[in-house]
Amino acid sequence: MLQALADGILSGSIIALGAIGLTLTMGILRFANFAHAELVTWGAYMALAVLGLTGAFLGPIAPFSFGIPLIFATLVAAVLTSLLALAIDWLVYRPLRQHTNHLTIVFGSFGVSLLVRMVILLIFGGAAQYYSRTLQIAVPVLPGMRILPDQLFTLGITAIIVVGLHFFLQKTRLGLAMRALAENPELARVNGLDTRVVVRWTWVIGASLATVAGVLYGLTVQLRPEIGFHLILPLFAAVILGGVGNVFGAVIGGLIVGLAESFAVLIVPAGYKMAVPFIILLAVLYLRPTGIFAGSVGGAK
Amino acid sequence: MKHLLASGAVGVGLLIGSSTMASAQSCEISIGSVLSITGSMAAIGSAIGDAGKLAVDHFNEAGGVNDCSVKYILRDDQGSPNVGVDAAKTLVEIEKVPVLLGAIQSGVSLPILTSVTVPAKVTQISCCSSAPSFTTLAAEGGTQGYWFRTLPTDRPQAAVLAKIAAERGYKKIAIIHVNSDYGVSLAGRFKQDIEKLGVTVTNMVAYNQEQASYRAEVNAALQGEPEALFLVAFPADGATVTREWISFGGPQKFVFSNALRADEFVESVGAEYLADAFGIDNAQVEGESVDAFNKAWEAAFGSAPNGPGLHTMYDAAAVALLAMEQAGEATGTAIRDNIRKITSGDGEVIYPGVEGFKKAKQLISEGKAIRYVGATGPLEFDQNGDVTGPYLIWGVKDGELVTLDKWDNQRVSAAIGEIDN
Repeated sequence: MLQALADGILSGSIIALGAIGLTLTMGILRFANFAHAELVTWGAYMALAVLGLTGAFLGPIAPFSFGIPLIFATLVAAVLTSLLALAIDWLVYRPLRQHTNHLTIVFGSFGVSLLVRMVILLIFGGAAQYYSRTLQIAVPVLPGMRILPDQLFTLGITAIIVVGLHFFLQKTRLGLAMRALAENPELARVNGLDTRVVVRWTWVIGASLATVAGVLYGLTVQLRPEIGFHLILPLFAAVILGGVGNVFGAVIGGLIVGLAESFAVLIVPAGYKMAVPFIILLAVLYLRPTGIFAGSVGGAK
Repeated sequence: MKHLLASGAVGVGLLIGSSTMASAQSCEISIGSVLSITGSMAAIGSAIGDAGKLAVDHFNEAGGVNDCSVKYILRDDQGSPNVGVDAAKTLVEIEKVPVLLGAIQSGVSLPILTSVTVPAKVTQISCCSSAPSFTTLAAEGGTQGYWFRTLPTDRPQAAVLAKIAAERGYKKIAIIHVNSDYGVSLAGRFKQDIEKLGVTVTNMVAYNQEQASYRAEVNAALQGEPEALFLVAFPADGATVTREWISFGGPQKFVFSNALRADEFVESVGAEYLADAFGIDNAQVEGESVDAFNKAWEAAFGSAPNGPGLHTMYDAAAVALLAMEQAGEATGTAIRDNIRKITSGDGEVIYPGVEGFKKAKQLISEGKAIRYVGATGPLEFDQNGDVTGPYLIWGVKDGELVTLDKWDNQRVSAAIGEIDN
């Protein structure tokens, strides 16, 4: 029971990080970007590649299984993932935005997600990989509850990022611009907001958060080309649960999805836990289509 | 595409043509084969077809069956039961084959068996169908003895593993298994067997393949404080499960299924955690008879016989042909009644290949007993048409996979006998 709670919060915090990026791009760019989950995979693998180049100098910082190199690799990977996101936007979404309707972009994003996944498969192969082969042994925190040190790190970093992002959106000029664009694109444009700059930064933030989510996922679970594919549904469930464009909503949504998945195992056989996000998604769409926290549709609050 | 089709047609033509051309004798016996040449099993199907063809060619070269040349007729089931049944009907009713080799998938073999071969009293030998339902059907009398397979089922595996686990003194064991026909049946068997030996199964958890994390499954399996884990899995997912089991404080005592005997698995988990682990695998991958087949295959196709079903298919064809020779007639019932005569007992040992078959024909004509030891090693069919092969027990030492123990047929049968009574 306690273990399910701990596991749920931990997998929920990774979902939350991915969902923040998705909710921002969905709120501001106004389309369901199915390729977002592939940015998570891409980020995770880019960090692996950088780690392979730099090697494990300095060694891990106890009690974690990683050290400075992984943190450095994550930063480089965030830049590389942002570049990929911008390239995709420039090559695929920008032309589609100008000429065609909403659905075409959604289908375009499907194509992009497949393409990215296959490229990863081509370069890195399909076998599971790890940042470090050493196995961490979980520490008993309470009776019947064990946690890996890496998982605590995951939780901490998620909390820091969420708070930081909140202040960014509330206090900075760019954050204000992002919220304005999400709230009312026409009005924002009339007021002389350079939407291209805002869109660009939205991609960079979304991609960077996806990278962090991917690295944390790879750290606590493993790296596989299908990470994104398996995360896509929980991510969308979390975003819709929290209301599109709502950062805190996405975090709570992510935690709810994570907890629901891990508690479901206590009731239904573990093989069927994948269906749980589906059920939550359907229930929310049926009862509260705008999400549990949303006052209006499509606002970054 | 057109070119491909054309060359395929020429290939099939040659295949049939060459076996007809070998018929120097006046009479001809046809044997049929239904395999997946196209469809989901296409990647392995045509090579399996070649393995059957190779056995027939060897036999023809050795002089044919009862001085008749053998014609090998291969039909495609496209991986579908309907097509497979149609193909089998054609072979049985029009070509009048006394024996049918196939199919690959259990889902195709079963309808052929119940609706075509058993009613027509034709012997059916499969290289590749491993579902436990055939054993049940045979035990209930539904196959009338016309069903055989050269691939060992999970029955002996479960018995041997249960026996060793009990001997190691485990009192409580958890089971995690892949949610497939293979996993469900092996895990279920193991549970039955080990409970008979007085060991408690604390929890049996199924997992779906290709997931990134099995934390929930592992946590469920950890309930009830088991002393060891029995894992039925394939290497990649198996490594994930094992790592998470160790991470979350599960005892580092493991019982592994055959598919986990892979370097990739040991490397992913880390050999230092597997010191107390053991697993099982078929031991019939070495020996003179196996080498004889491997050499013959290389001579015929220019590459090593790497692929599932090749050895078992060769043996399926070989036992059918030897049984015909032994019986002196080519009917399904005669084959059924003679297969065990040429695979068990104390007769002279016969290996695969032209020389082996020549020797077998000679001995049979002199009225002497033979025992075929095939491409998969010694074959002994039980009353349900299943084979129990020898097994090896593997473990991990100094980062390498090593063989800890070997179980020959007698030991395996003894273990099954002990559990069943």
